[in-house]
Amino acid sequence: MDVILSGLGQGFAVALQPFNLFLVLAGCFFGTLIGALPGIGPINGVAILLPIAYSLGFPPESALILLAGIYYGAEYGGRISSILLNVPGDAGAVMTTLDGSPMAKRGEAGRALSLSGVASFVGGSVAIVLLTLFAPALAAFAVKFSPADYVALMVFAFTSLASLVGKNGIKTLLAAAIGLMIASIGVDANTGVMRFTLGSPELMAGIDFLVIVIGLFGMAELLHLVESYARGTLKTLPVDSTFVSWADIFAVKWVMLRSSIIGFIVGVLPGTGASVASAVSYGTEKRLAGESGKSFGTGDIRGLAAPESANNASASGAMVPMLTLGIPGSGTTAILLGALLLFNITPGPMLFQQKPDIAWGLIASMYIGNVALLVINLPLVGLFARLLTIPQQYLTPMIAVLAFIGVYSVVGDPFDLYLAVGLGVLGWVLRKLEFSLAPVILGVVLGNLFEDNLRRALSISGGDWSILLQSSNSLILYGLAILVVALPIVISRMLKARQNKAV
Amino acid sequence: MADRIFAAITLLIVVAYGWAAFMIIKAPFQYDPLGPESWPRILSVLAGLCCLWIIFKPDVDKIDITHNVLVRLVIMVVLLLGYAYLFEHAGFILSTTGFCIGAAYLLGAKPVHALIFGAATGIIGYVLGAKLLALNLPAGLFKSLF
Amino acid sequence: MKRSAPLALALAFACLNPFSAFAANPEKPECVAPAKPGGGFDLTCRIIQTGFLEAKTLDAPMQVTFMPGGIGAVAYNLFNTTRTDDPNAVVAFSSGSLLNVATGKYGEWTEKDARWVAMAGTDYGAVIVKADSPYTDLKGVMEALKADPTSVVIGAGGSVGSQDWMKAALLMKAAGADPKKMRYVAFDGGGESIAALLGGNIGLYTGDIAEMSAHLDAGTMRVLAVMHSERLGEPFDKVPTAKEQGYDVQWPIIRGYYMGKKVSDEAYNAWVELFKKSYENDAFNQIVKDKGLFKLNIAGKEMEEYIHNDVAKLRTLAVEMGLIEAPK
Repeated sequence: MDVILSGLGQGFAVALQPFNLFLVLAGCFFGTLIGALPGIGPINGVAILLPIAYSLGFPPESALILLAGIYYGAEYGGRISSILLNVPGDAGAVMTTLDGSPMAKRGEAGRALSLSGVASFVGGSVAIVLLTLFAPALAAFAVKFSPADYVALMVFAFTSLASLVGKNGIKTLLAAAIGLMIASIGVDANTGVMRFTLGSPELMAGIDFLVIVIGLFGMAELLHLVESYARGTLKTLPVDSTFVSWADIFAVKWVMLRSSIIGFIVGVLPGTGASVASAVSYGTEKRLAGESGKSFGTGDIRGLAAPESANNASASGAMVPMLTLGIPGSGTTAILLGALLLFNITPGPMLFQQKPDIAWGLIASMYIGNVALLVINLPLVGLFARLLTIPQQYLTPMIAVLAFIGVYSVVGDPFDLYLAVGLGVLGWVLRKLEFSLAPVILGVVLGNLFEDNLRRALSISGGDWSILLQSSNSLILYGLAILVVALPIVISRMLKARQNKAV
Repeated sequence: MADRIFAAITLLIVVAYGWAAFMIIKAPFQYDPLGPESWPRILSVLAGLCCLWIIFKPDVDKIDITHNVLVRLVIMVVLLLGYAYLFEHAGFILSTTGFCIGAAYLLGAKPVHALIFGAATGIIGYVLGAKLLALNLPAGLFKSLF
Repeated sequence: MKRSAPLALALAFACLNPFSAFAANPEKPECVAPAKPGGGFDLTCRIIQTGFLEAKTLDAPMQVTFMPGGIGAVAYNLFNTTRTDDPNAVVAFSSGSLLNVATGKYGEWTEKDARWVAMAGTDYGAVIVKADSPYTDLKGVMEALKADPTSVVIGAGGSVGSQDWMKAALLMKAAGADPKKMRYVAFDGGGESIAALLGGNIGLYTGDIAEMSAHLDAGTMRVLAVMHSERLGEPFDKVPTAKEQGYDVQWPIIRGYYMGKKVSDEAYNAWVELFKKSYENDAFNQIVKDKGLFKLNIAGKEMEEYIHNDVAKLRTLAVEMGLIEAPK
């Protein structure tokens, strides 16, 4: 404990130097703006600014603090277009659209933005405290997590998401299968064999997740807006000045705390990040809400708070294996790792001993950045909400332009633009036929993780399936999966029985 | 009916997908018992069964789309495809300007307003995206200017 | 102020170099990284982006663009269809790209369909175990594999047929065991593989030596051998080679640049000269070293020969390993 406190003290001394403080704030501000653009997320933000920070000749701790500020800022900003435009700002913000966008459509954009800002703050803060206290222990846990355990985690994720079943269970299943099938396109990660690429080199690496998200959500939303206009039901929303109330925050305090912890743990694991974290927490919260969870997906504040806490918590969680082991847990931390190496700093077990000012300075800057983001974001809520007062005939084309910029900046290949348009048509048809889009996206996110890890586990065991049940991690996760399915049923039975007795 | 048509089309795609999974995909050798083909096989069977179920028990009968709505949707999709085609060929500024003019006009903006809006979005978008954020947007015909 | 010494040196070289007056540098230099930002190709491009700048061999700022897709296939395809004669752009490649060319993953295009410009540098394969592993030298693990190919679970960051897998397969062959009989687990990149090694999920990791620099002092992992003919310099000088332990397994992981096949000799030579000039510059070499690469200064005609030989070798190897059919 003493080590941690003195380390933190040292870190704050570095992070509170006026220049570094300025960099945190600047990073957070620009990060928010970058993240707010659909499709351009933390990876682009950090990758764009890394060479600039390097060429300006900043000292390493300052450059790193700037980049980390951008990282959190972008993670924060991702929610803005999810809520306002129903177009996810980045991969981790997909679940935010489910309840955020309906809130904005009924005139509560300000409330949704400010609440999600608070939820992000809670997620980020909880995660940083956990990071400070338990980083070394968590790192050990993360590397012990075997392919078989990932399989169990995916099974748990699927069961908690079974709560997303809409009116028609078969349609939900088909939607998930479509997502899984889309994910199976490309080079097989185990054998290097091409699957469903139709001989096209563009499809070899599979369809990028962001292209799918922007297509299915953004483009489909665009077509939906055109349809509403043609029907004469499209209206420009009035300025709304709603804001989150203390009662709102109080109502979701446990949701935020649980989601933060789930998000942090998922983030710590190498290979899973913000998209899995937000999906699992959303599914879990909906399950736990039981009967009252029916309002999830129609603008329930719990459904907004859960993924937002989780995706920000996972952003900090991903720092754990990077700082303590030198293993990047996500695409963005891989770039941060590259940044460290660029400055001749080798992360890993020795980092805290050899360069404590940098390690602790970075952690302290996370505390400051998180507060800064809340302070920067809350006053901007009104400004962002005003976006919706742009007349629809201009706002709608702008969604397309933003989506195109986002898609093109992923790969720089016009092929993806066609793909996004095609997926948009598919998304629109699915919406018309009362399929929900969330299972498609989850199929895409979870599909490859499930298949790859199952086959890795079986490669390790030489084909022996019992490896799936050998570790305590797996068994706990299977237990939780059963619990998540069974608990709501048991509780509702008990409630009914009690009611019957009362009568 | 709408459900049935969609399920039937999806079933066709699923059959093609399944055919590839059962007949084509094969690794020269592999270290796991499943190989690259098992998972897609399972998916194709699952998706196929779902499609059949929907064909027999559809729940959305008709999507309520008038001729007028459909025409505008088709125009929008054509505009988007044209935008995608011109994005690299004509560059960001021109393609965006053209698309925005068309789309704004389609959504009921006055021609002059659409024109101003289109040009502004193209130029401001490029300056913000390519210059400020250093994204690789195609300069196209204006390459020599920037 | 720190930079002034190399700067002066660079200026001196620029004045001394007889070619500098003749070779016209590319006007709008661009380096295409055929992947997403952050990976090895990005790094390869950053080497010349900052390297040429610091070495003062190129005045115009170099743009780095990204073209992910098909492990470089999209870029290889594009530079064989539309940008075949682009005088301004070089594309980053690695041993992995060459292996794809050799195994036909880039479709109809072969090594003859590009002009190979120069090397950035090289890395070498490494055989790595966890610190508490029962194997303390290469011989121990090789004999265990020979006796029972499934006794050690080997993991690395690529699929069957990737260059990471190739290292494991070559090791098996050298041990006298069948590569098809090993237990091999494909992870998504080196980071996940190291995590799996540290967590005890795999017993042996066939990685790269440069990525170990961060872990050497920590004492969490042990490098049993480097896949090179001779020992490397500091800080890897204590790592024995596979060869000196009686197993001649060599696997360099080269990184370099190519251009479209119809690029004019003039433009090609300008780039080659640019590299040759930079190779003699301390600031440039320092950047190559900082990015975790070992010096390998080959450019121009030599480079083309090297690549053609290398791909031919890889093709034979791929046939031997059963990855592809023998070409007719």
